[in-house]
Amino acid sequence: MKRTVSASPSAPVSRSLKARTLLALALALTVPLAAGQAGAQSARQTTLVLGGDFSDLITLDPGVSYEFTGSLVTGNLYDTLVGFEGNDLSKVRPRLASSWKVTPTSAGSQITFTLRSAKFSTGRPVTAADVVYSMNRVISLKSPSSFLLTDVANLKVGSVTAPNASTVVFSIPKTANPNIVLALLTFNVGGIIDSTEAKAHEQNGDFGSAWLRDHSAGSGPFVLNRWDRSSQVALDSNPNAFRRSVNIKRVILRYMLESSAQQTALNSGEIDVAWDYTPDAFNAAMSNSKLKALKTSTFQMAYLGMNSAKGQPFEDPRLREAVRYAIDQDGIIKSLLQGLGRKVQTIIPLGLAGSNPALPYSYDPAKAKALLAAAGKPNGFDVDFLVSTGSCSGGVPCQDLAAKIQADLAKVGIRANIKQMVNAELLTAYRAQKAPLIQVAWSPDYPDADGNGTPLADYNAHSLAWRNAWSDPAASKLAQSAAVEIDQAKRIALYKQLTELVVKSGPYAILYQPYKPVVTSSSVVGFVRNANGDVQFEKIAKK
Amino acid sequence: MVEGGGQLLLIYILRRLALMVFVLWGVTLAAFVISHVVPADPAAAALGNNAREEQLQDFRVKNGLDKPQVVQYAVYMGKLFHGDLGVSLRTQAPIAADLRQFFPATLELTLVAVVFAVLIGLPLGLIAALRHNRAPDLLARIFALVGGATPVYWLAILALNVFHERLGWLPGPGRIDAYSLAPPVRTGLVTVDALLAHDPEVFVDALRHLVLPGLVLGAFSAALLTRMTRSAMLEVLGQDYIRTARAKGLPGGRVVWKHALRNASLPILTVLGSLFGSLLTGAVLTETIFSWPGIGGYATSSAVSLDFPAVMGVTLVAGLAYSLVNLLVDLLYVGFDPRVSYA
Repeated sequence: MKRTVSASPSAPVSRSLKARTLLALALALTVPLAAGQAGAQSARQTTLVLGGDFSDLITLDPGVSYEFTGSLVTGNLYDTLVGFEGNDLSKVRPRLASSWKVTPTSAGSQITFTLRSAKFSTGRPVTAADVVYSMNRVISLKSPSSFLLTDVANLKVGSVTAPNASTVVFSIPKTANPNIVLALLTFNVGGIIDSTEAKAHEQNGDFGSAWLRDHSAGSGPFVLNRWDRSSQVALDSNPNAFRRSVNIKRVILRYMLESSAQQTALNSGEIDVAWDYTPDAFNAAMSNSKLKALKTSTFQMAYLGMNSAKGQPFEDPRLREAVRYAIDQDGIIKSLLQGLGRKVQTIIPLGLAGSNPALPYSYDPAKAKALLAAAGKPNGFDVDFLVSTGSCSGGVPCQDLAAKIQADLAKVGIRANIKQMVNAELLTAYRAQKAPLIQVAWSPDYPDADGNGTPLADYNAHSLAWRNAWSDPAASKLAQSAAVEIDQAKRIALYKQLTELVVKSGPYAILYQPYKPVVTSSSVVGFVRNANGDVQFEKIAKK
Repeated sequence: MVEGGGQLLLIYILRRLALMVFVLWGVTLAAFVISHVVPADPAAAALGNNAREEQLQDFRVKNGLDKPQVVQYAVYMGKLFHGDLGVSLRTQAPIAADLRQFFPATLELTLVAVVFAVLIGLPLGLIAALRHNRAPDLLARIFALVGGATPVYWLAILALNVFHERLGWLPGPGRIDAYSLAPPVRTGLVTVDALLAHDPEVFVDALRHLVLPGLVLGAFSAALLTRMTRSAMLEVLGQDYIRTARAKGLPGGRVVWKHALRNASLPILTVLGSLFGSLLTGAVLTETIFSWPGIGGYATSSAVSLDFPAVMGVTLVAGLAYSLVNLLVDLLYVGFDPRVSYA
């Protein structure tokens, strides 16, 4: 490479020119654009912006999606046959189905749905054939949510039929409860897809799943405009929808992982709804007249799991009871959660039929110590305590919660040795029955008592009871009978028995049922988030 | 003479590229080993708490996780030779597509940060060296010390609080305003894409959003650059030929620009290259606080969910970025300092 003798630019002149250009650029950057403001303003009025940690979003295919954000969005892109309205999760209401009948059959039962007249965003009418296709694809895809239709509702390809264009029949075996099936169908797995559109985009027999990951073909109040991963999801109102959105024409879900960023953005008016406020910030928001602080319910439960296998520290049921007496639930809810939680001790979350609000365990360290002595551990014992990193149920940092638990247990002589690890590692150990004491949360897969009943009480379900090595034939039998019991009164009685049994001898110390704090700007009207995590965007307005 | 030089240059570049392949291969091996040493199950991580055992097993089989590690590595490398970076275990989306989306965001931020770093750090370092042991020197050294010692996430939160929340001069987190729609993706750089889409409003919006995170990252790098520039310049200014040049009567400006800076440029370039490389591989904390959807955040969530194909993809990109930047710096050496040659 030849070296050239280049004359360097004479320093003084170029420097001042550079400086002036820089100054001009700097001014241009900080002076707000007056010009475009007017047009932008009216669009802003009909645009709802949510800021939150939406990083769990993996796909917008309603038959595959199984994460919270996925349900939130697909619930607005697609209609289900039946749904819940507002906050009332006790009664299933008509949606795409204008009415239905449940009738017993020799093999079990049958639900016959009559479809209302509706159109997809593509313009095509919603027909029974679309319903059959949507259900069959979920069963065939074997997605994370398929088990709801195959294992819980016990449906197979062919269980759902269409005698004519506006009638759908679900044939349900004896082993499934039609009421549970109805509850399941409100979930995004029951979202009805335009079968013609899905088939047109099928690749390698995937039922259009790859395309539906980031495109929509539903009859819901919104269509997907775009999804920029880790950045934003944008929805536009669907003019063909029967659940028409009158006031909101566009919804933007903006990824904001940090709660502090959400708070800043909400205060400056850049977003209208903040999805992940911490308990402290929520308290401050409650006294801010420019904001609305909403305590929305969840079906989540934070709990301690105690491994009850032979040779494990919590083999003796008296030791498990001691833990339940030792935990200061009120303290946790008051100081760590700042009131954003409900005191629960039984395994069915409040808000579901079958839940039991009884609180048999008062905060009684003396009683706990007595139980330890009776079980042959007057000097206490040591136990490894597995805890996750990051944020736990209710927005509390996991290590803060663990520290409180550790302190409570130490008071009665149980020396918990905290082992913090990433969630992935934690779950692996838990699933392998290798967690002696673990701090975790659970939420039911569907809004029904059985969503908790079976996993927590039935060892044979290979779920939470199994992970804690707790096998109780009476509990298993109760859970199984209650799951299929059709008579509502009998079912509630069975769950009362089950919850009383588990709260006394089970491997759990339930900590709390958190509220999910959502804060909106005071101009947002009609925002409701139900315990399932659903928000009906079409019902919202901005004044 | 020029042709001979051109040929040497070409051979040099080819040799470096060949070496790069070896380096990147070593990188994949290291990343693979490390991500498989962690005792946790990517299937459980991907499918979550409620998944059943059959689902986990299905997942493992589908993603080849049930095969022995050596086989898994071989399969990965096989796909890599065909340009297939694989599919993310966590999102089931092609990793190449994810990287194509997240990398430009980091690139855009890095370019702005480096510009700020040079605009702040270089002059400061120069002034410090020229006014050695006087007030400007002291101030520059304090800036360098404080800037280097300040945790970048603290600076980021502080900057957001002061310039956005309190003063309202600059916008908040994100690449564009929350209620704006990004322009159709062409390059992945929002500023460029906005220009291509003839959308001046979004272009300015994107530029404004780049200022604060760019400044935060840039200030941090500027501190380092100040120190490096100062020490390199001091060393050069103390040399005999500088005294000679001054004695010959050359004007001060020419001495500094033409003789001193040029000779001091090697260590400065090296630091700049290193800074650029490390910024490119993702300033995770700044990206998190500014909700910047870049490589740093992607790498972190992949690592935490034991998504080893994604981790390897990111590591490869990082390795490639570093190697290319190093090559560029080495090539620039020759342009700046004729003593360096390709032999």
